[in-house]
Amino acid sequence: MGGFLDYSPGDSFLHRLNPLAKIFLSLMLSVSCFVTDSSIFCLMIILLNIAMAAVAGISSRALAMLRTLIKFCAFLFFIQVFFIREGNILLSLPFNVYVTDKGAMFSLMMVLRLIGATLPLALMLSITKMNDLSNVLVERVGIPYKYAFSLTTAIRFIPVFTAEMAGIMEAQTARGVAFDTKNIFKKIGLIFPLCVPLLITSVRKIEGAAISAELRGFNCRKRESGYKSYPFKTADIGVSIFALTLAVAGVFIPF
Amino acid sequence: MIRFDNVSYSTNGIKIISDVSFELKKGDFTALIGANGAGKSTVARLCNGLLKPSRGAVNVGGFDTALVRTSRIAKFTGFLFQDPDRQICKNRVRDEIRFSLECVMEDRAEIEMRCERTLKAFSLDGERDPFSMSRGERQRLVLASILATEPELLLLDEPTTGLDYRECMHIMECISVINRKGATVLMVSHDMEIVQDFTREVMVLNDGSLLAHGRTKDIIRDESLLARASLLPPQITELALRLGAGYENVITVDDMVSAVKKKRGGAE
Amino acid sequence: MIRISGLSFKYDGGREEALKNIDITVCKGDFFGVIGSSGAGKTTLLHAINGIIPHHFHGDYYGSVEVNGLDTIDNKPEQLAGTVGSVRQDFESQMVSSVVEDEILFGLENFSVPRDEIEKRMTDALDKTGIRNLRERNIATLSGGQKQKVAISAIIALMPDVLVLDEPTGELDPQSSRQIFQLLGELNEKHGITIVVVEQKIMLLCEFARSLAVMDRGRVVLNGPVSEVLKSSREMESAGVNCPRVVTLADRLRNENLYMGPVPVNIPEAENMVRSTTL
Repeated sequence: MGGFLDYSPGDSFLHRLNPLAKIFLSLMLSVSCFVTDSSIFCLMIILLNIAMAAVAGISSRALAMLRTLIKFCAFLFFIQVFFIREGNILLSLPFNVYVTDKGAMFSLMMVLRLIGATLPLALMLSITKMNDLSNVLVERVGIPYKYAFSLTTAIRFIPVFTAEMAGIMEAQTARGVAFDTKNIFKKIGLIFPLCVPLLITSVRKIEGAAISAELRGFNCRKRESGYKSYPFKTADIGVSIFALTLAVAGVFIPF
Repeated sequence: MIRFDNVSYSTNGIKIISDVSFELKKGDFTALIGANGAGKSTVARLCNGLLKPSRGAVNVGGFDTALVRTSRIAKFTGFLFQDPDRQICKNRVRDEIRFSLECVMEDRAEIEMRCERTLKAFSLDGERDPFSMSRGERQRLVLASILATEPELLLLDEPTTGLDYRECMHIMECISVINRKGATVLMVSHDMEIVQDFTREVMVLNDGSLLAHGRTKDIIRDESLLARASLLPPQITELALRLGAGYENVITVDDMVSAVKKKRGGAE
Repeated sequence: MIRISGLSFKYDGGREEALKNIDITVCKGDFFGVIGSSGAGKTTLLHAINGIIPHHFHGDYYGSVEVNGLDTIDNKPEQLAGTVGSVRQDFESQMVSSVVEDEILFGLENFSVPRDEIEKRMTDALDKTGIRNLRERNIATLSGGQKQKVAISAIIALMPDVLVLDEPTGELDPQSSRQIFQLLGELNEKHGITIVVVEQKIMLLCEFARSLAVMDRGRVVLNGPVSEVLKSSREMESAGVNCPRVVTLADRLRNENLYMGPVPVNIPEAENMVRSTTL
């Protein structure tokens, strides 16, 4: 249940990791996809992500996310693949449109990187409580609470705004705006004017959130106010080393 | 106008609506009542194709919603949501109404004519910025822009939530007028007094199933049925039920006053 | 005790005063309802009690507001928070956490409540609102009524003397709305918390509140014990407030010289009224 990025409760090995270790792991997974030139390595990282999601008990959400990403990336892939004109022609189409081996390879890598880099961040955010994340940033990293809170609030608002956007699209569809068109460019053109209602609602919600935080003593918070503590355990160190190794491996992997 | 044939709807493996069948005729004014989470909004969204049934068929105005685009159905239906801010996307009242018309028709002259007529009928200032208006005024603007398109079917999802009494009556009276002109209205609501005052039929929904579909005056007196949907009868009806004999046909305050007088007359 | 005297307020950039010369006293232990049409100044009034006005929203401010001896001009909202707890209208945006427990911790941590006391305060708050079983739950998966109870618990944990709520049942169905008012009644009676609640559902206010203020265009037009205020049903209607129908009925019966007794505020009282007229 719950939408994209919503916290999904659980008590798996991954849930119990220190929030910092989780974030480091997901960052390193993303980084490794960017530093590597190997499509097989990227693919392995994506598979590792799915495996991790299974451990955390959120595989169905991960697969749903993967499906959305693939749809989006397929679109990017086709745009990209026709624009690269260098290399040997693999497929020739009418109107001087062709696909080259270089273009195909480049586009494939781009798509794999995008998926490989997005998935771990999204997964980690859905198994980390936002409060734990902001607390650990304050306690362990020494970031002032105000910034840590703003960061986590921004992340927390993403699903709220996604739902709001879906609601707006629904209301506009109901009045006859043809969002159900098959033409993607037309659809983008229709979505653009909707930023107005989204912006108005967002500003109102953020204002509301700011007031209620103020009413609950947000300005009184001190660094040592945190109730929970976040020790860095052996498992956390292990996971961090593993993550770093993957990133380094990404650079040197030969295939 | 609307026909549900054994409609079920599930999302993420959870069944929201199970095996619902009903029919609304042209010119009906029907309320859809039930607790939060009973599936009322889902039924409303199934009516105009915003949601497509997982099983069974929904037929609206002669179209099977599973086979046509929602934007096609929108040409003859209006949908008023609880939150007006999801619809308003122009920064002038006139533009907002014009935009609604442009979504469903092409004749420029007709659009301009209807736009001006609507502004006048709702006494709206066409130059005003919708975002400087109160929530009740914005809801009225949204309703105006829907009614400008002269829908044959009007779907309302808790149209009066968050409004004060005056704003609420204003909205409901506009809806009554269009219903008298022949439009079919289906309204999701919690407010039993509004249901009592304005609708002629009621459907009771509980846990995704249709418990009852009947005349408003019968359903609002059925305490045990309403209790199953976590609802209470309107105040005067509840009072009449408690008073028992001699108050069987009491619905309004006027009815109650005459019933009291009659009872006194009989006693004297 | 809340004492508001001669309060007028105009928002920066506002065309008109949102509050006009308000005088209200809310006694300790009262259950005080505020009703009025939209734009009447109800939310502004609550903001003046919890210090959001004048500290967050600025404008022309005249008069004074005092809560348990604390002046809201000299004390910022966070200094008032131990005295006045506020539950806002839109519970979706006032939540800061994904899990119930963290939501309640937020305020306690902010005010640096000692560690050994935090656990006790948390369980106390959850017990008072009857949602101990929801402690580990993800807030996004709760129903509207449950979310509102979480919002109330998070404030109760700060142990305020006064609880101010802005349309706490605005998005709830009749049954959950009633549950929220039952909870407020309990907090008021069992735990002595003074309640100030803005609400559109007049029937709930009549049944649970002891005092009622009716606002219209920035002014308090009626103010007093619920049964007294309800006698002025004509004034209520001109302020855009819907009278409960049993009150309208009492009015009609009085006009016909059939009934002279007190105004009924619920169905059993109305039943007694009708029976007494037909004896």
